[in-house]
Amino acid sequence: MWPSLQLTPEELTALWLSLKIGLWCTALIAAPGIATGWLLARVRFPGKAIVDGLVHLPLVLPPVVPGYLLLLLLGRQGPVGRWLYEMWGITLAFTWQGAVIASALMAFPLMVRAVRLAVTLVEPRLEEAARTLGAGPLRVWLTVTIPLSLPGILTGLVLAFARSLGEFGATVTFVGNVAGETRTLPLAIYTYTQIPGGDGSALRLVIISILLALAALWVSELGARRAERVLGK
Amino acid sequence: MLDLDLELQQGSFILRGRLTLDQPVSGLFGPSGCGKSTLLRAIAGLAHPQAGHIHLDGVPLFDAQKRIDLPPHRRRVGLVFQDSQLFPHLSVEHNLHYGFKLLTPAQRQFTLARIIDLLDIGHLLRRRPRHLSGGERQRVALGRTLLASPRLLLLDEPLASLDEGLKQQILPFLRRVRDELHLPMLYISHAINEILYLTPHLAVMEGGRILGQGPFLEVIRQDHILGLARSLGLENVLQVTVDRHDPGIGCTTVQYNHHELHLPLSSLPPGSVTWIALRATDVALARHPIADITIQNQVPGRLLDLRRIADRVLAEVDVGAPILAEITVKAANDLCLAEGDTVYCLFKARAWQYLGAP
Repeated sequence: MWPSLQLTPEELTALWLSLKIGLWCTALIAAPGIATGWLLARVRFPGKAIVDGLVHLPLVLPPVVPGYLLLLLLGRQGPVGRWLYEMWGITLAFTWQGAVIASALMAFPLMVRAVRLAVTLVEPRLEEAARTLGAGPLRVWLTVTIPLSLPGILTGLVLAFARSLGEFGATVTFVGNVAGETRTLPLAIYTYTQIPGGDGSALRLVIISILLALAALWVSELGARRAERVLGK
Repeated sequence: MLDLDLELQQGSFILRGRLTLDQPVSGLFGPSGCGKSTLLRAIAGLAHPQAGHIHLDGVPLFDAQKRIDLPPHRRRVGLVFQDSQLFPHLSVEHNLHYGFKLLTPAQRQFTLARIIDLLDIGHLLRRRPRHLSGGERQRVALGRTLLASPRLLLLDEPLASLDEGLKQQILPFLRRVRDELHLPMLYISHAINEILYLTPHLAVMEGGRILGQGPFLEVIRQDHILGLARSLGLENVLQVTVDRHDPGIGCTTVQYNHHELHLPLSSLPPGSVTWIALRATDVALARHPIADITIQNQVPGRLLDLRRIADRVLAEVDVGAPILAEITVKAANDLCLAEGDTVYCLFKARAWQYLGAP
């Protein structure tokens, strides 16, 4: 009854595609995620509540909604999508790059939340001490705030990567379910459950998904522990 | 020289004060929550006054009228925090380097080796702050600030989080910094003896206001500081010379104005000068010396002044220095005390507390 654990080329493609989209998504939101998390934790500015709400919206909306909004905005007929295509020849709808955008949007709030929490926990007087020692704001940020937030930043990155691996609703709405282009692990699993005789493939990919999730948690734990040792907590 | 006159409001707390520090080392004394730390933060540029000015050696760090407010990193004002605030992700060595490496060689007043030697922290360089004891942490924090070559060193209760034994270990290092580096220092504390260990020059703060400044004995005897002095048990302060110790009977004898006073046993070397303090409520008055009594000190003096304050009488007796005795109205009446009378001031030996050396 147990299926062979040997992945078919089609399943392998879905796995690699998922990893590729996950890594690109994580890389894409790393810098803006750190900046936004810090901004929300430390800086008072007008309209902060609105920014805070907008960033967190994808977390509470049904994923289909942001996916559909992306399609309206970035699709071939959308205002931004048409501009991108006419100016640069870039197509996002129904491409893996579009899948990166969709999962980045969904993962962004997780990244921001993790960074914001980590920055909040950095003792402000350490930053003040650095100021009185002659360091300007940017140097303080780079040498004190960011290094001390590192465990949280790492957690945020892992969460974002995991969220990207699991992204379904926004992806399928915005970029569809194109084999070899946008059919990531969850989409492939769903597809296999819909066709007769697909159970073996679905089960294999389920196992792969579980292993990937465990590996991500393990990396995150390892990183957090190492960071804590370095930071002396 | 530091010269400031500022007004700073934080929520419902208002700090208002004028201060001119022209001594190499000054103290800022006041009870917890009186605004000492806020004043220090304003000098360092971490808190922002609404009005006034802060000048250091004639250079404005802050001037509300001229719209000058130098950021902390351009003030060259060093601040040692109560709880050290060492960077946990850096080794001791890199903590020491933090401000040092931001300076040009010409700006550096001290070498690494000198500070490490002065504070005796050479064996700690490779450690992380979390592996240091409280006292070691404060020495490293002090070294880190010194190496940033400040023009003024602010010390914000640097010993407050240490226990008594550790304080005694750190204080000599602060003295070494004072004597060897010739750096202007402002030391704030709610413990008067810590300040007096370093300097007799101090300013007194209470409730967001600077009540007075000057040499300790002058400041503490100002009328408007009496209320604060009373709450701290500093109404009577004498400068005395240690004469001898008698450990067998648990007694130290000091000389004061040709009088001998018997005090609790101390470890101060004979011949050294120290300040001692006594509460006004711990002074009894008598018409004549009293035999067969445990009170060890009976000093004659002339009654200068009798002041009735609410339900009590504050008597001022000249025993070579003014001594304040707080007695009931009944006691004053029973003895028929009058100004000009000769009375004996009775002090229990154990009621005196040592404040520290001038």
